[in-house]
Amino acid sequence: MTMILAICVGVTFAVSIYLMLGRELKGVAMGVFLLSHAANLSILAMSGSPIMTSAQQAEEQEAQKHLTSVDSPIMKDPPILADRYANSDPLAQMVDPLPQALILTAIVISFGVMAFLLTLIVVTNRKTNTLELDELAEEARQL
Amino acid sequence: MTDHRIILLCVIPLFAGLISMALINRKVLSRLVGVLSFSMMLGLSLSLLLKITAAPDDASILVSQMGGWSAPFGISIIFDSLSGMLISAAAMVGLGAYVHSFSVINPRTERRYFHPLMQFLMLGVNLSFLTGDLFNLFVAFEIMLMASYALLTIGGSKAQLTQAYKYILLNVLASTIFLMAAGMVYGMFGTLNIADLARIVAEIEADPNRDLPAGFKSLAVMFLLVFGLKGAFFPLWFWLPDTYYTVPISIAGLFGGLLTTVGVYTVARLFPLIFASDGTSTITAEGWMLGGTSPIIQTILIVAAAFTMFLAVLGAVSQHHVRRILSVHVISQVGYMVFGIAVMTGNALAGCAFYMIQHMVVKCALFLCCGMMEKHAGTDDLDKLGGLLKRDWKLGVLFFIAAMSLVGLPPLSGFFGKMVIIREGFAEGMWYLGIIGLVTGAITLLSMLKIWSYGYWNPDQAPVTNKPEAVMASSKPAYAAITVLVVCALFLGLGAEAVYKVANRAGAQLENPQQYITAVLGEDAYDEVNKLIAEREADTVSPDAESLTMIEPEAEDKP
Repeated sequence: MTMILAICVGVTFAVSIYLMLGRELKGVAMGVFLLSHAANLSILAMSGSPIMTSAQQAEEQEAQKHLTSVDSPIMKDPPILADRYANSDPLAQMVDPLPQALILTAIVISFGVMAFLLTLIVVTNRKTNTLELDELAEEARQL
Repeated sequence: MTDHRIILLCVIPLFAGLISMALINRKVLSRLVGVLSFSMMLGLSLSLLLKITAAPDDASILVSQMGGWSAPFGISIIFDSLSGMLISAAAMVGLGAYVHSFSVINPRTERRYFHPLMQFLMLGVNLSFLTGDLFNLFVAFEIMLMASYALLTIGGSKAQLTQAYKYILLNVLASTIFLMAAGMVYGMFGTLNIADLARIVAEIEADPNRDLPAGFKSLAVMFLLVFGLKGAFFPLWFWLPDTYYTVPISIAGLFGGLLTTVGVYTVARLFPLIFASDGTSTITAEGWMLGGTSPIIQTILIVAAAFTMFLAVLGAVSQHHVRRILSVHVISQVGYMVFGIAVMTGNALAGCAFYMIQHMVVKCALFLCCGMMEKHAGTDDLDKLGGLLKRDWKLGVLFFIAAMSLVGLPPLSGFFGKMVIIREGFAEGMWYLGIIGLVTGAITLLSMLKIWSYGYWNPDQAPVTNKPEAVMASSKPAYAAITVLVVCALFLGLGAEAVYKVANRAGAQLENPQQYITAVLGEDAYDEVNKLIAEREADTVSPDAESLTMIEPEAEDKP
């Protein structure tokens, strides 16, 4: 699971850098958008795999013997459902909630930056009638 | 020691910004609110700084836990000597640039939310100086950066719009790397609290059997990349000269002093405490543990300092516009601060702290003087300026004092900063950095004298766009601001001994993490480290004890 996530993060970073090095400002804005997505995915990977290892699975099935129904103990629970701290290590049974809080904050921040960047692009287009980076650089050099 | 007044340093600019947004079309009221906010911040930070300077060692760091949640689970707001010095200098510089803007800013620009943006910028800066949590540092950086993006493009001239993208995109990239690195710190250590990280690293250092987790060094380099981009180290400095060239001059004064210093501050806070460690330590004759410095991080810092100091000042000498010269000098002075951090002893870090505050004040004064020069002559091109001393001798005197402070002539402030840093460099064996520092100082003198002789000392040949008397009469706030900043710089220079009392404390707190850790995490947080040190000392002592018992075996009872 973490492997798939790592590959996703890598591909998203590659695509965003490719867009940011492009010719038009619109592509650059899309690249910035994807950059924040890639960083958020990488933080998600820091919470570890949501699939229990076989040792943790065995311990879970031990703890659940007194229940009549046996759920499949393969995926970890979110913290609100994991109220049986039968394990010595609570993180063996529940998903780590802190990286998700970090990701929420980061999404909100990048949303604000994105809004500002898009407004800036609109105003630049109005002032200089172009969005090609080469022409903008030409304008900058003349000033 | 717990003191909940610290967070007022962030609450005051927040509320002042919100009130200014309501008063957006009323010039006098919003200016009054802004000046009040800066003065309150300055007064509060100076009083807290005096309080902790007079206090003994165990009460010298003020901590406030947000929401009452205890560290390391809650967010700590920490006010130690370094934060206090920097917040006071930031409030001073902010007040100066703000009052200066009353004389030079375009009224249309002022209506574009200039006043709230200045307050939110100070909010971000103060929060980043105060916070004790890595993710909160990220949030504070973002607040500061958003306000700076908006201030950069305020007024929306073509020049500003085309140059702003460099700054914005580079900072977005740096923020993304910061986010990833903060996530990785959490994955590696399980905590994001700076004091807790320092405690874990100190425990790893004290224990000879444990080693730092894999990937620690690359994480340190990632953080160096982020803060280097913010602070304009070599080779991440290319955005600075173009960006500071197009902003309104008061904002350039504020940015030039403030934003790069935030980058240097985070390196000074995090690296001696956590990231420059190599996981080992040595026990000296006095029995004290010294944390090892990772050679590769120190090499990177030394190379960055050397190239930043030297190449930037060569770049400054080749320029002909006063604003560009001053912008590139910002980079060169940052090189001195990195020199102080690279040496990584307590005295060098104290010198770096002193240099940071004197640089903020002097650089802002220089930029504001440049603003007045532009108002007199309509241009900042040195080929077209001249004779400003005859037109306006007060400005000439103020500029000369500020310029010589930057160069480092005694008894002005720059001298004391450079002296301590270069002396510590020579003492630690980095003589090559010391020589580069001295040569850079000489070339800085050359560059400042170039502005002086072309702009002020020349016979009068500048275009007279405004009559000197009219300019001086209409710019009283600007002259007041520049005078206050220059007087502050003079105080830092002539009263350097008093300021160094505070700076030495800051350096000592940066070098030895014990005070910081026990202040945030409680008295018993450092006990594990002390226990490990005692065990290692006992191991080195026990061979003698063993030989003694072997001579008299009957004296011992077998269990």
